[in-house]
Amino acid sequence: MAGIPNILITGAAGGIGRASALRMAKTHHVIVADRDADGARAVSSEIVAAGGTATAIQVDVSDGASVREMKAQIAADIGPVLSAFFAAGIFIRGVTGEIPEADWDRMIDIHVKGTFLCCQAVLPAMMPANKGAIVTMSSDFAVMAVPGAAAYMAAKSAIYSLTKSLALEFAPHNIRVNALGPGPIDTPILKSGRTEAEYEKARETLADSLPIGRLGQPEEVAAVLDFMLSDRSAYMTGQIIHPNGGQLMW
Amino acid sequence: METMIVTGAGSGIGAALTRRLLAENYHVSAWDTDRGDLAGANDQNLDFCEIDVRDAGAMSAAVSRAVEKTGKIAGLATCAAIFHTKPFLEVTEDDWDAHLSINLKGTMMSCQAVLPRMLEQKSGSILLFSSSIARRGAPESAAYAATKGGVLGLGRAIALDHARAGIRANILSPGITDTPQPRGNMNEDDLYGWADNIPLGRIGMPEDMVGTALFLLSDEASFVTGQDIRVNGGASLF
Repeated sequence: MAGIPNILITGAAGGIGRASALRMAKTHHVIVADRDADGARAVSSEIVAAGGTATAIQVDVSDGASVREMKAQIAADIGPVLSAFFAAGIFIRGVTGEIPEADWDRMIDIHVKGTFLCCQAVLPAMMPANKGAIVTMSSDFAVMAVPGAAAYMAAKSAIYSLTKSLALEFAPHNIRVNALGPGPIDTPILKSGRTEAEYEKARETLADSLPIGRLGQPEEVAAVLDFMLSDRSAYMTGQIIHPNGGQLMW
Repeated sequence: METMIVTGAGSGIGAALTRRLLAENYHVSAWDTDRGDLAGANDQNLDFCEIDVRDAGAMSAAVSRAVEKTGKIAGLATCAAIFHTKPFLEVTEDDWDAHLSINLKGTMMSCQAVLPRMLEQKSGSILLFSSSIARRGAPESAAYAATKGGVLGLGRAIALDHARAGIRANILSPGITDTPQPRGNMNEDDLYGWADNIPLGRIGMPEDMVGTALFLLSDEASFVTGQDIRVNGGASLF
């Protein structure tokens, strides 16, 4: 797409990914990537309806072949991608001692391997451009702990470590890699594994527990993402920023 | 038009931030003991106040004047600080007290001067300046390091105490940046030689800090409070 830079956003069909796609569409052609093809197309249509441009791509970020296919499609149809946000994620609740091996694998594959594969997909094209910005999706739970979230916490900590490692390795190429570490945001992940009543109760309890007294909105995370991808943060790399209403301060 | 208050506005990051805020159409109440880099600045929205951040009365008066002028204090950025390196055993009580009273207590008192108005407004964003030295330490920098560590604690406390009142407080921790502070402690070759130790391959410039400062002060960071944002070219990843 001539004249307007491209951005790749995974997990873009819902929650923070969707809000980010809509926000970044003001300045970018957005590659709306998601496992949910219909969801990706819906967000893409929403962007186009609002006057932007977008391409929907179905991808399973935990599958190397699928990510490589996405990379090939981007190279063939879209062009260079110098900004990327990897938001694909799931949440499976479970007491640590009772997490089924399959759940553990899925959690680690989607978050950690998915981030790894997607970084490998975009970095080679950023290097010759000597420019690029990647934001990964970590969490407050990369740093603080809650019960019943061992796999999620392990995954988000791993993403944070991977982010710092990539920041160091690619800084000489003027490619910045930072992590978002949101706190409680009102997204579909909050609903996952909860009944409607449990969800409502969780929203209330979480809001009460936060210094700021309310849940965050996906758009508020998207605003931080925009900053982290822009030249406003040109001297920042390897960092994590927590839009979290004060849940964790460190 | 809304007011932004900047302490330590006469030099370094404070001066760069002041200029940028003026360009962004804010009224800036710029506090420093010396006009410094702002000497030539002639902007009708710039109100330079000759203020020492240890002087509570002068700060309250400046806040009142800003409120009269624009009706709203959008934010406060506390850049005022001193930094004199010295081997630890040679640090005098006076050296220690000077750092603590300006860098830490001065920051606390600037916040105390501005917060009552923000509480009335039920809005406002405070940005405190710490340093990568708070977490990493640096040779012969004990007093400075202690004050900047103190700012981290102070910033979180202010964020917690006032979150429900609609006030956010965050911290920006620059890495080594070309300002009068390091220049007072080392020559230019040594200062720029630091680039070798920085992943992005260069030391920071005041303008590098301004983009992040403006973001944190603005409503774009509406769900960000109590955080320490480290802008250091990757030199410190924690």
